[in-house]
Amino acid sequence: MRRRTRAGLLLAGLLAGISGCGLGPGRTPGGVGLAVTDDFGRATVFDSGAPRVSGQDTVMRLLERNVTITTRYGGGFVQSIDGRSGGHVAERPIDWFYYVNGSEAEKGAAATVVHPGDRVWWDRHDWGAAMDTPAVVGSFPEPFLHGRAGRRLPVRVDCLGADPGPCRMVAERLGAAGVPTVGRGSPGPAAGGASALRVLVGVWRALRRDPTAARLEGGPVSSGVYARPTASGASIELLDERGRRAQALGPAGGLVAATRSEGDMPVWVVTGTDSAGVRQAAGALRPEVLRHRFAVAVGPGASVALPEAPR
Amino acid sequence: MTYHRQATPLHAARVVAGGGFCLALVLCAVIADHPLVLGALLVAVLGAGVGARCLGELGRVLRYALPLALIAAALNPLFSHQGLTVLARLGDVPPFGQLDVTLEALVFGAVFALKLLVVVLALALLSSTVDPDEMLRVVRRVSLRSALTASLATRMWTVLERDARRLAEARRCRADWREGGAGRAARVAAAAVVVRAVAAGALERAVDVAATLEIRGYGSVRRPPRHALPWSRHDLDFASAGLALVSLTVASRLAGVGDFDTYPTVHGSVGLPEGLLVAVLLGVALLPFTDRRGVTG
Repeated sequence: MRRRTRAGLLLAGLLAGISGCGLGPGRTPGGVGLAVTDDFGRATVFDSGAPRVSGQDTVMRLLERNVTITTRYGGGFVQSIDGRSGGHVAERPIDWFYYVNGSEAEKGAAATVVHPGDRVWWDRHDWGAAMDTPAVVGSFPEPFLHGRAGRRLPVRVDCLGADPGPCRMVAERLGAAGVPTVGRGSPGPAAGGASALRVLVGVWRALRRDPTAARLEGGPVSSGVYARPTASGASIELLDERGRRAQALGPAGGLVAATRSEGDMPVWVVTGTDSAGVRQAAGALRPEVLRHRFAVAVGPGASVALPEAPR
Repeated sequence: MTYHRQATPLHAARVVAGGGFCLALVLCAVIADHPLVLGALLVAVLGAGVGARCLGELGRVLRYALPLALIAAALNPLFSHQGLTVLARLGDVPPFGQLDVTLEALVFGAVFALKLLVVVLALALLSSTVDPDEMLRVVRRVSLRSALTASLATRMWTVLERDARRLAEARRCRADWREGGAGRAARVAAAAVVVRAVAAGALERAVDVAATLEIRGYGSVRRPPRHALPWSRHDLDFASAGLALVSLTVASRLAGVGDFDTYPTVHGSVGLPEGLLVAVLLGVALLPFTDRRGVTG
């Protein structure tokens, strides 16, 4: 009987350990980053590559340790950060959203555990034009370095077009950012299954055949990206935060964006109106260009953070 | 819980003063957050119970209130997502998500439980020491119909209790009353029969009472005149003590004395000002009980 009790206790302890249970705060994850920005990343409120973190923190606790917040609904919803509150401004709905390694959270911040290397980004923005922004590029080189939910994911660059230059450049940029192995392929089901992170590189005419990438043509409501390539691929409309057309990129226009179908991994799009545009977009795949950006459009000589600031 | 007239200063005070004193204790417990202040209020309520000779009544209420308070204290850490000091990780439990027990949530739950105890006991003190008829007489000047309804309800309750007792005894006189067995389910079923009979009787009584009131012309009764009686020393003592308790608690909150925050980390000041506040609160609450001059049973 005593042996059976001991075995039962051992089993319970094992199960508890496996399911993340235990006494005390748990093991502190290393390499965590925390950024808090306002207005689609235009204003930085807090940015630290080594924020205060203790034990197996949730995203909410990580935030609370580093900035002053107020919460609602029993501490599950962030109402304000450093005095910047969600609600309505000029009859537009604004609220705080968070992204872990460039993916919009599917759970509340109090239910999401921070893993080693995670880049947590909080941004307060107008969500009137797009209720969801499923993926953003502003945490590059995440999610390629640490994946999602503490699980590193295979990375594959899908080259769609005759020009191999931009594709090579994207692979080099990923390698330079520390992504160890980058697979190459062509559109279709990802090698490594649906759990692979895909980077689609090519002119929009070719990329639009991919069902996830094609969501961009539906605008922010469909893809969460504030840019809308035309079906012909000849131009890319750049939109402001209300989803209104701000300008259009013609020849040599490029776009770096990320989107995601429900339940799938994020898909990054490095595209352009033509080969020159794709090369420009591939050249923008650098942390300093993408930092705290939801998406980046590249015109001749300059990059534009999306959504475009209201004029 | 019933009111029994006792020879104590609180019983001797008029309703407005005695009831106001008890409600002041409730209000102070709602306003205060510091465990020391809440502890002092709990001691004050129990001390008042001793002074008003109703500690037994308070003890009976405590038997029900304490488990409720403990449940509230135990549930908060399980469902609150706040606090930074993790004591235990219970893993991902759908639909609640990550369940982490934090020190802050535990403390918040404990403080809430303490607050709940003070409020419940202060209300129990009120119902043990304030004459319900006097209270209804006071309410009568504010809202006649409400006072009449409350008077009837309080009287009907004891009548229904008597009815239930008689019905239960009558049921036990039947030869087959043990047929359902002696288990808990059988006892509940037997009780349900009695409750159903009492409820049906209550409706019949209510119709009778309404008809009687109508015939006697209660519908056209006007607001009764005010009987101005001079305030006794006990009236003044308890009224001023209640006022002082609320004023002290509000003033201390405004001055930052006795501040206590549980989230995101537990932070509370403990020093001379808090000690003084506790001593003064206790003194103010218990001083009126020392004056027993003119107290009659």
